[in-house]
Parts: sequence; C-alpha cells; structure tokens
Amino acid sequence: SEMSKDMMPGPYPRTPEERAAAAKKYNMRVEDYQPYPDDGLGYGDYPMLPNKSQYERDPWYQWDQPDMRHNWGEPMHWDFDMYIRNRVDTSPTVVPWHTMSKHFFIFLSTMLIMFVLGEIYPSYRPVGPKQYPFNDLYLERGGDPNKKPPTVIHYEI
Amino acid sequence: MASAPPPSAAKLYRPNQYVSLPAELDPDTYDTSPEKLRAEAERLAIRSRLKRQYQLQLNNPNRPAVIENPALIRWVFAKSQNVYPTFRPTPKTSFLGAVYGLAPLIFWFFVLKSDRDRKEKHIQEGKVKRPFSVFF
Repeated sequence: SEMSKDMMPGPYPRTPEERAAAAKKYNMRVEDYQPYPDDGLGYGDYPMLPNKSQYERDPWYQWDQPDMRHNWGEPMHWDFDMYIRNRVDTSPTVVPWHTMSKHFFIFLSTMLIMFVLGEIYPSYRPVGPKQYPFNDLYLERGGDPNKKPPTVIHYEI
Repeated sequence: MASAPPPSAAKLYRPNQYVSLPAELDPDTYDTSPEKLRAEAERLAIRSRLKRQYQLQLNNPNRPAVIENPALIRWVFAKSQNVYPTFRPTPKTSFLGAVYGLAPLIFWFFVLKSDRDRKEKHIQEGKVKRPFSVFF
C-alpha cells in the first residue's frame, strides 16, 4: 500500500522516544500505549489492548462500523477477529465464574460416576434363556425332516 | 469481638481472566480524579480527530471507492509480515516451538507405529485375519 515504512508496525520500542513515536503512529496516548513484553514471540511494537470483546462496547454509540463496533483508525486488538460479536464474548456474567464452573463440574462428575457405576453393576429384572417352540426350531435350523427330532420340553407340571 | 467486615462484592465475584468485571463492581467507574478526566479528554480529542478525518473522506463528493483504514492495514501487517522480523529464539520460544511443533509429531509417530506393529504381530501369529483392502 502507499503507507510509508514508519507508519507500519516495527520492532519493539526501546527508548522513550521510540515509544512516543509508536504511540503516535497507532493513534494512542503515550500513557495508554503498552507494547507486548519483548519475549521474541513476534509481536513487535504492537500495543497490548485490554482483552475485551466487541460485545462490551456501547451499542448505542455511533460507531463508524456498527457491526464491528469499531471506529476508523482506532487501534485494533491483536485478536480482533476472535473478539467480534459472532465469536468470543467477554461480557461480565450474571453468576460468578467460579460458581458456574463448580455447578457444572459437580453435575458432570455426578452423571459420569452414575453411568460408570451402572456399567459395572448393571441391574435389571431376572431373566432366563429364551425358549423356542417346535423342539427348539429343529426344522428351521436345518434338522433332517425324516429323522425324529429330539424332544425338548420347557415346562414342568 | 467483632469479626472481619464482609468481603466486598468484587471479591465475592472473584475477577478472572475469561470475563471482565461488571461495571458496578469495577473500582474504575467510581474514580473521578482529575487525571482520569484529563485522560478521557485526551482520548476524546484523538477520537474526534480520527472521526473528522473519516467523515471528511466519507462525505466527499469525489469519494474514493475504498476508504482504506490505516489501523486495519497495520493490524494485518503486524500479524502477517511483522512476526518473522521480530521473532527471536529465546528459551521460552524454543520450548514452545518444541511442545507445539515437534511433540505432536513424535507422539503420534510412536502411537501409530506401535499400534501397527501390534496388529502385524497378531496377524503373523495367526490370531487375526489380514483385512483385504485395495487402497492401503
């Protein structure tokens, strides 16, 4: 594009002048500008913005891009495409997170334990082997029609 | 003997890294110091300058077809082309690279190979018939 090299992101800023220049480049206040820690992971001088999703932004303000809730020229979060309104939402939850996770895991573990116990110790009404008529289906199972089949009696009187 | 005062609502909520604190529990909303007001005023100045630039371009009778957003261009550049120049091999990055790059490869190699060796041993011993498959 037609933007000059110093308008593009660069390496991690070391001196305060570099920090001020980078803050001006990204349209941020010098106090607000906080680059990612210099771990060599590849962030460079890109600012570290708070991890808030676009859901949390005011829906009634006249954004330049209302669906993204983003203004022209405003520095975008590194994970901007994750925080759009179709995806990750970091709005505050009504119930605290630890309560939610506790309830969920208690329920899940109870159900799983009950299922496992049901597999190890199955319980059902007493059953016996299945009884077939016609001498245990002698002819249907390929018995010789000329021979007398062995008598099978399933009852007792 | 008085007990400790009840924990604040923010402590009961226990802020975590996944969701943000509700505005009512965040002490930042109740902070009305002049520094905060000045910071807000400066931010407003920057925001209105950018808005003015954008609106001038938008309502221009000879508006260009695409109003390019320098923030978007910078974001794309930072994510795609600025990663390699700013990457540096440190103990943390080499460890992460080994964990994410090499470990799955080696793990699955050993799992699949041992599974296939076990099946081949069963077939040679005659326990399992070799399945007839044309493609692999």
